[in-house]
Formats: sequence, C-alpha cells, structure tokens
Amino acid sequence: MSGTLAALANNVTWEGTRLRRSRRAWLLLIPLAAGPIGSAIADLYLRVPSVATAQVLGLLITAGLSSLVVLDLTALAVGEDLALRAHLLTFALPEPRRSGLAGRLLVAAGGPVAGFAAGGGLVMALAPRLVMMSPNSAGPILVPLHLYLGLFGVLVLLAGVTASAAVVTRSAAQALVAGVLAGVTCAGVGSWLLLDRALTVVFPIALAAVGGALTVWAVVRYGSLES
Amino acid sequence: MPADALEVAAVSKSFGARRALQRVTFRLRPGEAVGYLGPNGAGKTTTLKIISGLVAPSEGSVRLFGLDPREERDRALRSIGVLLETPGLVPYLRGRDVLEHVARARGIPREERAARVQAAASSLGVVRELDRPVGSLSTGLARRLLLAAALVGEPRLLLLDEPTLGLDPVARADLREVLRRLNREGTTLLLSTHLLEDVEVVCNRVLFLRDGQLVGDEPVEAGGRDEDGPRRVCLRFASDVSDVPLSALIASGRAVERRGPREVVLEVRGGLRGQAQLVAETVRAGLPLAEVSPLASDLAARYLELVGREEEG
Repeated sequence: MSGTLAALANNVTWEGTRLRRSRRAWLLLIPLAAGPIGSAIADLYLRVPSVATAQVLGLLITAGLSSLVVLDLTALAVGEDLALRAHLLTFALPEPRRSGLAGRLLVAAGGPVAGFAAGGGLVMALAPRLVMMSPNSAGPILVPLHLYLGLFGVLVLLAGVTASAAVVTRSAAQALVAGVLAGVTCAGVGSWLLLDRALTVVFPIALAAVGGALTVWAVVRYGSLES
Repeated sequence: MPADALEVAAVSKSFGARRALQRVTFRLRPGEAVGYLGPNGAGKTTTLKIISGLVAPSEGSVRLFGLDPREERDRALRSIGVLLETPGLVPYLRGRDVLEHVARARGIPREERAARVQAAASSLGVVRELDRPVGSLSTGLARRLLLAAALVGEPRLLLLDEPTLGLDPVARADLREVLRRLNREGTTLLLSTHLLEDVEVVCNRVLFLRDGQLVGDEPVEAGGRDEDGPRRVCLRFASDVSDVPLSALIASGRAVERRGPREVVLEVRGGLRGQAQLVAETVRAGLPLAEVSPLASDLAARYLELVGREEEG
C-alpha cells in the first residue's frame, strides 16, 4: 500500500514538473480565470436577459475551455511518453505503473476538472451581481445548477476517452482527435435530447460512468502494456 | 551461498508466429561482467526487456537475486539498473528532472537524493548537462544521461543494451572505463551489444545469441580486457621480406607468423599507440611497408564461427 501511495505522490510531482517545464501549467488557470471573465464580459455587453441565462452561458463557456485543457493535458500525460518511447525508462522503475499513471492523471485530468468546479462556481456566484433581471425575459433552456453538475460528466467522459485512446494508439495526437470526436458527439446527442425534451439526469450520469470506466481501463491496461 | 545475480531459465518469447527467443538459459554470478553478443534481430533486446519486466516471457522464468520479478516486481527491480537501446527522452525536461524522478521512484530518501543524482551524473561526466533541456543534448550526451539514470539507484546488476551506441571514440573509451570500474566495485554487468570491442574491454564472459537461441557461453580472454593490451597487426610489404629478421628490426612488435614473402603478423602492445610506433619503426628500418591492418581478435573469429555463419550463408 505504501508503494502505491508513494508512486501516486511521486507521479503527481512528476506531472507537475512536466507541466512546469513544458510551460503548460498556466493552462490550469484557464477554466478558473478565462471562463468567469469571459462570461462576465458577455453578461455586461450582450444584455443577457436573465441571471439563469447568464449562468448557463457562463457555464458553457467555462466547460468548453475546460474541455480543451482536459483533452490536451490528458493526451500528453498518457500518450507523450509512449510516442517518444520514454516509457522504456519509466516502465523499468520499481514502482507500480498503474499508480504512476493514476498520479499523473490526477494532475492532468483532475486539474482542469477542479478548475471547472471553481470557475463554474464563480460564474454561478457572479452572474446575479452582473445581470439586471428583466421581468419579461424568457426562462433559460436549462436549470443552471443541473447544467453545472451535468458538465462534470462531460469532462470525465472526455478524460476517459482521451486516456484510453492514448493507451491504444500510443500517440498523444491521435488521442486528442479521439477526445475531440467524443466531445462533438456528446454535444450533438445532448442537443438532440434537449430539443426532444428528453434530456434528464441519466445523460450526464451515463457520460460520467462511461468516462470513469474508460479511465480505469486505461490505468489498468497501462500497467500491463508491453513495450 | 549468495543467490545468482540473474537466472534466466528456459525463456521463450513469441510475437505472433515469430519466435524471438527459444529456451534461453543462463546465469550471472554476482560480480561477473558478461557480454551478450548477437547480430541485429537475434533477440538481445527482447531478453533484456523480459529481464527488466517490460515484456512478459511466453515460457520460462527470470529471477533477479533470487526474486521473481513477476511476483515481487518492485523489490526485484530495485536491485537493477537498465539502459535499453532506444528510449526517448521528453525534450523539454531537464536532466536533473529525469534523474530526480528515477531517484524518487527508487525510494531514495529526500536528503540523499541530490547527492546521488550528482554522483551518478559526475561518474558519467554529465554534471553540466543536468540543467539543460534534454532535447538540446547530442545523442552521446543523452545516452550518458540515460546511463546516469540507470546508476542513480546504485544497482547491483546493470543491464545495458548497446551502451556505447552513438558515442564518439573518446566517450566510448571513457564509458568502458566507467563500466570496468563499476564491475571492479562489485556491480554485475550484462552488456548486450554487437560491438566486440565493448565485450573484449569490459567483460570476462560472453554469451552468443543467434536467431533467439543461445549458441555459446565462453570466457573472454583476460588479455582482451585491456584497451592498451596486445593486439595483432598484419603488415603487407611492397616487396619480398622473407629474408629480413623482422623481430630484430622492429623492437615494439613480436613476430607471430609469416603469411608469405610479403606478409607478416605481429603482436604489439600499447593499443593504437603501439601500432603507430610499429609503423614508424618499420618505415625507419627502411622496409617497403605497403599496408597495415589490425587482425580480428579471437573473439571476432569465435563470433563469426558461432553467429556469423548463417548470416553469410
């Protein structure tokens, strides 16, 4: 158990070093800063008709940015070593490979998801202070709180698809393409369900379940990859 | 009785229909330096990957200091250092990042880590490279950095796959000296290569691999261990020298064999320097020297006998 935790901690540090050295660490700030700032500007200048609509708009902006960061960091965390054959060095180290990858995903996928949690929270909190209520305004297309929670499912799905695609293809670039395709498909199915008035809590839960299962599969498979 | 450093027992590996290794069996006693020779594609790298747990054998077993790496992977791998032939390095990382990650993974305590990283880098002459992005390093420096990473854990067994690949002659000689020193200090070495000189200089035993099968396991002649040791050189002359008493004229060489009126084999000491001295003396003696060529060592002859035949056929 101590070996597992030590490998987890070691690889959290390792991924942090990689993000710092590759100058990608600042990407983790995007969901936290750019989402709320972008949606605040939209609130102020687009005359958004209601607080709820402003929240929905802000959440979609924040989640969109978070998705891009999840895709990029996850694809590189899993696929870069495999593509460069740097795994020939790390695979021979005396630490559990699965815990190692889990530690790295904790930073690469967990960071942007945490960023969305914070950024989305800011959007929810700021919108009532920036938008004047219009009595004749139409209601939002979604309940903001439901959207906020549901978008976590989308992010988990994207992380899972990207991580598993990186393990299968051994390429960060191809994993990124797979993640983008998953995001587009997810948005299309979500929109169709919304128009059909069939969008329920089952959809984001299903996305999160699939994403979680794919992430676990990627971690397990990574542990038994042959070089 | 101490356990063998490495025991490879009837290991086979197939990739689809292709059999990369066929019942390979050998042992390394602690303190041995063993060369693992074979042509490209013979199965050398596959063997090393199996030993270091990167590839599972189709059949057979491996034990590292008595431990089965499949059952006690982390404990078994803690005692070995590995340098495989073609690992990449993530270009934006610094050498120090890589070595410190390895040190943490090997469980080296925080207070010892910096010193161990420094010592490993120092032994390979890459201290200045520790703070440079690895993408900016030449092939040779990157290779030395990777070898330093293999040394960070002060392993008892080093598995090296073509360690001198891409190194210039001076760096190659330096690296061989490092390996000899490590071996003298008690590190067991398994040196996979197709460069016979690496084996002659560093190893005291050699295994020959051909088409995935072990075809020879022999000691390396002690004389071959010294880069400045004796080497045989063939001198060809422009005219008949059969009446000339060569050994009397050429002080630095010992005539071994005449191969006709214009050709003689001599043994010289002092490596390349000795060879150069021999040429100078021959010219000074007024002999009509036409060509000088070093002869293949006994190991080379043995290699051709055991491994090369099939390739030639």
